[in-house]
Amino acid sequence: MELSDLAKADINDVVRNINVEETNILKWNGTLFPKDPPYNKGAFKISIEFPSEYPFKPPKITFKTKIYHPNIDEKGQVCLPIINAENWKPATKTEQVLQALAALIDRPEPEHPLRADLAEEYTKDKKKFMKAAEDYTKKYAEKRPAD
Amino acid sequence: MSQEMKSQCSDEYHSSDEDMDEDINNYYEDMGDDNDVNEIQEDDPESFEFELLKVEDVERLLNESVETLCKAINVAPSLAKLLLHMQKWLSTDVIARYRQDSSKLLRDSRLAPTNVVQVCNSPFTTCPVCLQRCPAEIMSGLTCGHRFCNDCWQQHFAVQIQTAVSTGIECMFKDCCVLVPEDFVLQIVTNPKIRDKYQEFCFRDYVNSHPELRFCPGPNCSTVIRATERKAKRVVCKECNTCFCFRCGIDYHAPTDCDTIKKWLTKCADDSETANYISAHTKDCPKCHVCIEKNGGCNHMQCSKCKHDFCWMCLGDWKTHGSEYYECSRYKENPNIANESAHAQAREALKKYLFYFERWENHAKSLQLEEQTLDNIKKRIEEKVMNNSGTWIDWQYLLDAAFLLKKCRYTLQYTYPYAYYLDKGPRKSLFEYQQAQLEAEVENLSWKVERAEITDRGDLENQMDIAEKRRLTLVRDFLEL
Repeated sequence: MELSDLAKADINDVVRNINVEETNILKWNGTLFPKDPPYNKGAFKISIEFPSEYPFKPPKITFKTKIYHPNIDEKGQVCLPIINAENWKPATKTEQVLQALAALIDRPEPEHPLRADLAEEYTKDKKKFMKAAEDYTKKYAEKRPAD
Repeated sequence: MSQEMKSQCSDEYHSSDEDMDEDINNYYEDMGDDNDVNEIQEDDPESFEFELLKVEDVERLLNESVETLCKAINVAPSLAKLLLHMQKWLSTDVIARYRQDSSKLLRDSRLAPTNVVQVCNSPFTTCPVCLQRCPAEIMSGLTCGHRFCNDCWQQHFAVQIQTAVSTGIECMFKDCCVLVPEDFVLQIVTNPKIRDKYQEFCFRDYVNSHPELRFCPGPNCSTVIRATERKAKRVVCKECNTCFCFRCGIDYHAPTDCDTIKKWLTKCADDSETANYISAHTKDCPKCHVCIEKNGGCNHMQCSKCKHDFCWMCLGDWKTHGSEYYECSRYKENPNIANESAHAQAREALKKYLFYFERWENHAKSLQLEEQTLDNIKKRIEEKVMNNSGTWIDWQYLLDAAFLLKKCRYTLQYTYPYAYYLDKGPRKSLFEYQQAQLEAEVENLSWKVERAEITDRGDLENQMDIAEKRRLTLVRDFLEL
């Protein structure tokens, strides 16, 4: 169904290797390849979980790879308005959700952070933030295939 | 006037199947009310006109507004209802704005889209949610033109209603926030349980958006209060006896205003651990050190062992609490605090808060204890009447005194958050002076009520008069609306 649509979509360069878990078709895994620094030095594993009421309730996205980002907490939970229960629209496509996710990674939103300390650093000392995020990416993120 | 309204309300409820006990209670309450109306009719700063409505009354009231609007601007009832809800039931305003620019008003109220999608007329279309091809007759949509199959609509409504969303249900399309009117939902939802829930939630939303209406906050009470002005005034629900502020819906809080009391209650909740240690029920007599439990509302204590008179709050000699120099309610700030270290300032801030909190908390507890005094008085009156020592009417003044005491102490309790947030200056001095006066008279009254049988009736009534006058002076001078 949607998975085949997703494969065709032009989101492919940002999110790759999407596959459905064998034991649970409501759980997808994928890898995010951000375009911009400081996160373009690595790749990030994510999982998308669909509730049984999907698409009437939103999917949940979790980062499996540690990331230094104001909108993602230590447990990998993401604060993404488009999949917030109050904002969710049943006609939203997973592709649109992933696009919104990719946009959030490249352009953090320090106004509604999950990690207030990082949001403060991001607004007050961007240079320091970029350096720390890059180091963190190099240390923890997945290696990108040479392309 | 409000008095008429109240008696009218109680008449209405009396006619229903209430037992004798409650009748008496209502009678007592009315007595209390009669009392202050007799004394100060014109300029009671707390008087407020309101009426109590039942769910059916409210439904009738809302439907009347809807009908009027339908006639005036010729729209469907369910659209008119949602329009009124979104515009806070300001009918005349809605009519004027509709006549001026109907499409703008509909857009502003989220009843029409900012841009309409062309509806495709082919006999088969794909539902954007379930991605299945469906015949056109089982697809439906709102003014925005986004069409979905009825199965998807139904599931969407079920999920929304489960999470208590009702008037706020929107179109399913991404970024489209056109609202779904009541008749559209009811056409599609067939499950009677979900339908009932939906209508219940809608009703709740309508009452909440209506500036003249407020639900009684009492537990399991479905009464709705109606008043023409949304003021921070006292409302008493005759169904469940809950007394609350019409503006913010929490316990009535004069002379403190709605924002201040909210700030204060949040602070108290946050600091509950710090404040816990003062919540003990016992203290030692300052003279003979025997442990004393406070079992009445009055703060004027007399040690049962050594007969020493002292103040429960400050443990000082009660003699120094004469009405002119009552100092116990006033917090004395360290005059040199600005020059002290941050550490000392923090300690001072905590000390100041605890001072006010302790008094606030103590009056709240005293109020509970005075509830017991009231029960005792009722019992004693019954005994007396049974023993033929005077009639029921002869002893009414005792109950009046107990009710008045409760009322005064209640106001007194709510003077402490007000004083805590008041800036230093002549206004604070005046407030604290009046507060101290009220404090002294309330304690005198409390002392006399607890010893009512050995107090002369004239003396007690005189004390009641003084206490109520002090209370009214304070409320009149400081209640800001």
